[in-house]
Amino acid sequence: MNPEIALLHNYLIVGAVLFGLGAVGFLSRRNMIVMFLCAEMMLQGVSLSLVAFSRFHNDFGGQMLVVFIIAVAACEAAIALALVLMLVRRVGKLDVAVWQSLREDNQPEFEEEKVPEEPSEKPEAWPSLARAGLTAEVSPEKTDYRRKP
Amino acid sequence: MIDSQWIFTLAVLSGAVGMWLLLPRGGRGGWPLGVPLMAIALGLGASQLLRLEGMESPQRWVAEGVFFMLAGVTVVSAVATVTLRNPIYCAIWFGLSLLGTAGLFLFAGAQFLAVATVVVYAGAILVTFLFVLMLAHPRGRAVYDRSSWEALVSAATGVVMIGILSMTVADVLTLHGEQGGALVTAAEAAGPRSDGVLADAHVAHFGAELFGRHLIAVEVAGTLLLVALVGAAVIVAQTKPEQQ
Amino acid sequence: MDTIKILLILIPALPLAATLLTAALGERVLRGRSHWPTVLAIGLSCLASLALVYQVHSGIDQARRETELAETHGEETASVGYEKVYSLWTWAAVEGAYQRPNETAWYDFHVDVTLRADPLTAIMLAMVTFVSLVVAIYSIGYMHDDPGYWRFFSYIPLFVFSMTMLVSVSNFVLLYVFWEAVGLCSYLLIGFWFQKPEAAAAGKKAFLVNRIGDFGFALGLFLLWTNYGTLNFHDVKVVEETVTVAGEEVTQTSVVPESAAVAEDAWVVGQQPGVLGQTILKSQRQLDRGEELAEGAPRYATGALATAICLLLMLGACGKSAQFPLHVWLPDAMEGPTPVSALIHAATMVTAGVYMVTRCLPLFVASEYAPQVVAAIGGFTALLAALIALTQTDLKRILAYSTISQLGYMFLGLGTVTLLSAAGAAAGMFHLFTHAFFKALLFLGAGSVMHAMGGVIDVRRFGGLRRLMPVTHWTFLFGCLALAGIFPFAGFWSKDLILVAVGEQAHQQAFGEQTRLLYSLLYIAGLFTAFLTAFYTFRAYLLTFHGEEQIPPEAGHHAHESPKSMTVPLVILAICSLGVGAFFELTGSFERFLEDAPSVAYLTAGAEEPVVEAAGTETGEHGVSHLGVAILSTVIALSGVALALLLYLGKRQWLQRLTQAMDAAMLYRLSHGKFFFDEIYMVFVVWPLRVIAWLSYLVDRVLIDGLVNLCGILPKWIGAALRPLQNGMLQFYALAMVLGLLVLIGTLLR
Repeated sequence: MNPEIALLHNYLIVGAVLFGLGAVGFLSRRNMIVMFLCAEMMLQGVSLSLVAFSRFHNDFGGQMLVVFIIAVAACEAAIALALVLMLVRRVGKLDVAVWQSLREDNQPEFEEEKVPEEPSEKPEAWPSLARAGLTAEVSPEKTDYRRKP
Repeated sequence: MIDSQWIFTLAVLSGAVGMWLLLPRGGRGGWPLGVPLMAIALGLGASQLLRLEGMESPQRWVAEGVFFMLAGVTVVSAVATVTLRNPIYCAIWFGLSLLGTAGLFLFAGAQFLAVATVVVYAGAILVTFLFVLMLAHPRGRAVYDRSSWEALVSAATGVVMIGILSMTVADVLTLHGEQGGALVTAAEAAGPRSDGVLADAHVAHFGAELFGRHLIAVEVAGTLLLVALVGAAVIVAQTKPEQQ
Repeated sequence: MDTIKILLILIPALPLAATLLTAALGERVLRGRSHWPTVLAIGLSCLASLALVYQVHSGIDQARRETELAETHGEETASVGYEKVYSLWTWAAVEGAYQRPNETAWYDFHVDVTLRADPLTAIMLAMVTFVSLVVAIYSIGYMHDDPGYWRFFSYIPLFVFSMTMLVSVSNFVLLYVFWEAVGLCSYLLIGFWFQKPEAAAAGKKAFLVNRIGDFGFALGLFLLWTNYGTLNFHDVKVVEETVTVAGEEVTQTSVVPESAAVAEDAWVVGQQPGVLGQTILKSQRQLDRGEELAEGAPRYATGALATAICLLLMLGACGKSAQFPLHVWLPDAMEGPTPVSALIHAATMVTAGVYMVTRCLPLFVASEYAPQVVAAIGGFTALLAALIALTQTDLKRILAYSTISQLGYMFLGLGTVTLLSAAGAAAGMFHLFTHAFFKALLFLGAGSVMHAMGGVIDVRRFGGLRRLMPVTHWTFLFGCLALAGIFPFAGFWSKDLILVAVGEQAHQQAFGEQTRLLYSLLYIAGLFTAFLTAFYTFRAYLLTFHGEEQIPPEAGHHAHESPKSMTVPLVILAICSLGVGAFFELTGSFERFLEDAPSVAYLTAGAEEPVVEAAGTETGEHGVSHLGVAILSTVIALSGVALALLLYLGKRQWLQRLTQAMDAAMLYRLSHGKFFFDEIYMVFVVWPLRVIAWLSYLVDRVLIDGLVNLCGILPKWIGAALRPLQNGMLQFYALAMVLGLLVLIGTLLR
């Protein structure tokens, strides 16, 4: 068997896996940024397939397309993130399930399943400095050790 | 030998259930069962990858090993991207996936693309993502990060899609009858790669091709970038007066 | 143009014009003067009818002279009777409509608007237009303050148009059309006061019962068509002639009546015998003389087919002329205004059935049993109606049942017609003729009484009116005498003729035992009915005009003699009912005139005696003495009158006992309840139909409307099913896209 064919075969399968995983993530994650990340992953899968075909056919065409995919992905990322920021500013959340009012009348709203509350992390007790200009109040025990008895 | 169809089917089933278990599902831990299932799925899938026959032995082992490693890193990182609860972690793992992809590009001989992926994708786009995440992400882990929308259906759909695509690829490319003959002919007719995409002066040829045949597309892409830049600025800037 | 043709066209056209004029202008313009177009038109029609009678009479004389002339030269003449036929235009034409047996040629079927002038038509036209004129003049006074005055005077000429066309047309299709048209006019006029529920119901009942008869009539027409291939009465010939059309010579085929003259170079392609046409009459006469017929010569249908056709036609006649079992509509039709009852339900429309049977006599004669059925129906109905009329209390109802009874007499007379004796035809038609006059008189008299009594017509509520309304009283008495058949009034002569005809058939040697028995029974029934007729007629007269003077309170200021416009027609009709019978019978002119109508002429021409014969003035062939019957019927009638006088004049003490006796025997209740025909029909006909209608209603509402509504609801349901696809969730849409993509990939790649 020609190694080129085997290589093509493998690359295509890996590309398909990436694409599929990206699809899973896009469909299930509710964080808008993560959704977009998964979309980018789908693009990566496609790029991989294109590069594989380019090598198989000994033609630069596939790689050209990948270049433009990268360029367009960059533009897309810019605009999409700008829009996401705008949306976040309105509701304060990155949740895509907030935006569901564009529906038919009388359709039920998406109800969130109850998620158990995470125990909020106690803010760690970082040591804090006293404000400048003030003498630190230190208990005598702490400073007493310096005096020689 | 078990028919590859069955292995793919089994991989799909296992992968679907594993994926479902791994996806954020309202705080329940699916890791103990999900990881092994996913591993089984990936393993089964990997077993269906073809060996690079036709190459001499030492080169062959190295090539196969490198390929499997790179592919493994990419896929595992992808799984992690999709399933982790903290979006920052998702971004980081995506970066790793990008690195794996870059490695695969390099392995295939697309040197420029490998570097471009790392520099542009991982270096610029991913960083932008991280910036926005830091701007918008709330403290602690939000509810919407810990639950997903229709996890089962999404996992099933995606993994079934992977299965279909893979099975099709496997069917077509495992040299059955006429198709196989045509493939071999095509592979041989493409000529020695070392004169083409795998030439020493690969990048020079790449650049010549890019700015030669696809010049207009390049210019248009540049304009597109400019427009995107301006657009992003405008979109974000418009909301500012409201804020004040 | 022929004088006869002009007259034939004018007679129906004038009333039609009057209808249209009154309908258009009556409400706004004419109002109280709406009677003028009607009266003028009908008056002119009447004059035209009389002129037509004269023309036909002189035409007959001329034809007879020509026949004698031809016979002296040794030529044989083929025509039977006198008729002149004019085809005005072709209403419908179908080419290649049918084939005759054993022939390959395809014949065309034409329905032409054809009018004919023969003695039967002339008699009917004269009678119809005259009575219509009299009734129209009467209505001027009767309908004087009715808000629908103009409407009435637009319906009346419409009816006259339909009736005159009915008796003038020369094919069965148009006969059916105008049959229906008179039915329509009857409906319109019965339900004239349509706001009154009883009147509307009566109109509906009349129309529906007529419809049943019309159904039979239509089936008879279908059988006629399939059997004879034509529906014309007379013969037609198919003529081919070359005419110049737009400079070119074109061969044209047209269908013309046999009597029409054709151009010199025209080629007579074929001849179609009309159903009652000369060709069939001729070949039937040849058959009766025992001659051999040529192959394919047209002849009348015989046997079961002929009986079927005749019985179906008789069903139509029963519907229109109110014979058993379709007699139930006529008493209810008295809800209409009295002039309508007089015109339509006494003199003209109900006689359409008798006219039709007379017209189709050759068909009836060709069947073995049909004439006997006709006679039996007529006799039975006469007796039945007379029995019912004995106990009725509504004056108009009594007269309605009397009409049914007299129509039964006419059918009885017609049913005695055979190839050997045509006396019954003349008898039936003569009774029709005289009955029109005296029954119209009686109805108009009853209308006069009703008008004076403020709308009350129940004889128990008024009485002793002879001093209050002298003209009405005397004219009514004349009418009663005529109806009872007292010499020398009109009814005596015509009823007498019928009884003679029936009696002759009872002794006819050529018949079988059973047929003679039937006719004997009918003879006895006829005599008994004459007795009953005299009795109930004078009962009505005595209850109304004799006894204590009793005026119901509704009369108000109306209780006086009617105005001139109403009494003058009464007087005219009274004179007619006195003189018409005697005049036409003693001169024999009626029968001689009628004999030349083709339908009747065929029957008499079959006899060995010479054509010109005044049948019935001599003794009958087989020993039934005309004088004897006359004396017998007079005695019976007088005894009926005497019984009525005994019971109803004076103190009426015997009446109570007789009534109680009859009541005890259930007879009184049967008679008063009209033998419960209405109730029987209600149970057996109306209720099942109502149930079917209700079921149909259910099917319509539930099934059909349900289906239609389903078509409307279905998109709603589909929409409701598909609506959840738009739930606003972005990832749902993405999932949908991916699933679609999967399906696509799956089908394309695998």
